[in-house]
Amino acid sequence: MPEHCDRLIDYISGELNEEEKRAFEDHLKECSECREEVEEMESIMKDLPFAAEPVDPPEGMKNRVLGSVFEEEQTEPGTVSEDVEQPYEDDKIASLTTHKQGKRVRKPWTALLAAGLLLSVSGNVYTLLNEENEGTDPVVESIDEVMKKVTLSGQQNGTASASIIKQQEDRTLVVEAEQLNQLQGEEVYQVWLINGETPHRAGSFVTNQNGEGAVAFSLEKLKDQGDFDTIAITKEPDATSETPRGDIVLSSKL
Amino acid sequence: MKERDYDLYQKILTGDKHALEKIYDKYEKLLYSFAYKTCGHREMSEEVMQEVFMKIWTQKATYDETKGKFSSWIITIARYTAIDVLRKKENQNYALDEEWDAPNEKEPSVEDLVEWKERGSMIREAMKQLPKEQKKIIMLFYFKGLTQQRIAENLDISLGTVKSRIRLALKRLKKELAIIEEKGGVSDA
Repeated sequence: MPEHCDRLIDYISGELNEEEKRAFEDHLKECSECREEVEEMESIMKDLPFAAEPVDPPEGMKNRVLGSVFEEEQTEPGTVSEDVEQPYEDDKIASLTTHKQGKRVRKPWTALLAAGLLLSVSGNVYTLLNEENEGTDPVVESIDEVMKKVTLSGQQNGTASASIIKQQEDRTLVVEAEQLNQLQGEEVYQVWLINGETPHRAGSFVTNQNGEGAVAFSLEKLKDQGDFDTIAITKEPDATSETPRGDIVLSSKL
Repeated sequence: MKERDYDLYQKILTGDKHALEKIYDKYEKLLYSFAYKTCGHREMSEEVMQEVFMKIWTQKATYDETKGKFSSWIITIARYTAIDVLRKKENQNYALDEEWDAPNEKEPSVEDLVEWKERGSMIREAMKQLPKEQKKIIMLFYFKGLTQQRIAENLDISLGTVKSRIRLALKRLKKELAIIEEKGGVSDA
């Protein structure tokens, strides 16, 4: 096989440098055999992407992707998501269930820059999940401080950790749970902060197929409720319970 | 009436977010599935999506009609991005264990790209007809984007064998595809 013809696979796989590529393209003008073969190879390669089996994109990907893309040109904070649905619920619940494996891939989270609070929280979740790597690869520069961290336990399956993080003047509760029983229908796991006899809603979450779930909750709206002595997680029939309707799954003194 | 990709793209160039959103909606599932085929990892695939749309929005990648169909162009961007993302990860070894084995995912729904629906099932069917080593070489060469050198090292075969195997695999795939097309596509049975 002539020398040039030998480069055909290198050419279609993009392994030639600019000079080599030009030389091969010159060769193509003269060698009809190679030309046909390149066309043949390229036509089949053009079809190959369609061989990918359909995979459902993760929930909320559109908001995360477009949110951070649009942010690229934004100068004013707070206008990031004007053209896409707001990815966050009012009480700043961010379900981390689909992203728990995101240890090294941080870029999709930059969408969350839109919400400074959540960004900082996800950074802390990252830190909490990867304590052994602490300091080597911080997600974001942050002066957040973990004020309190407790481990929740109970009679049933599952464990959880809860941290209260202080970010400037705001406090955020971050709960991360695993090995929980699967939910059904509209059921959710609801986090409660309890002051004496009075429970306060402090975020809800659903679990992924591995029984893992997490939630970040801003404590701003509870700041006038005094000190909490207990944190508990219950299984509720839906996300609207104002007081616990289900049994306590996990709890801890604060 | 549905706007053409090209018209939408022109609007993207003027900073029209809705136009980018429309393109996103149209290609989300195809590009994500394709990225997933390459990366085999959900977070990485999402990273690919973000980089692809970032490149389009910031015009680091630009399209004009001389480059052929918009769909082919955006897929090409996705492919290079996915390969790039995959290469950046230090440890690719897990990827090498990947066989072609198609998971039993459901076929694309009707609202998905017609082209994908039509071509996809035929190509997957054609892939099934290939000998195992040819399937593997297409997986590594095309989807995983490994260099021929790396393929040679990993499969412990010579560079010459890599080249000829890629060549044979693609030719065989083309042939099998032609047979399926002749039969009028893949039956639903």
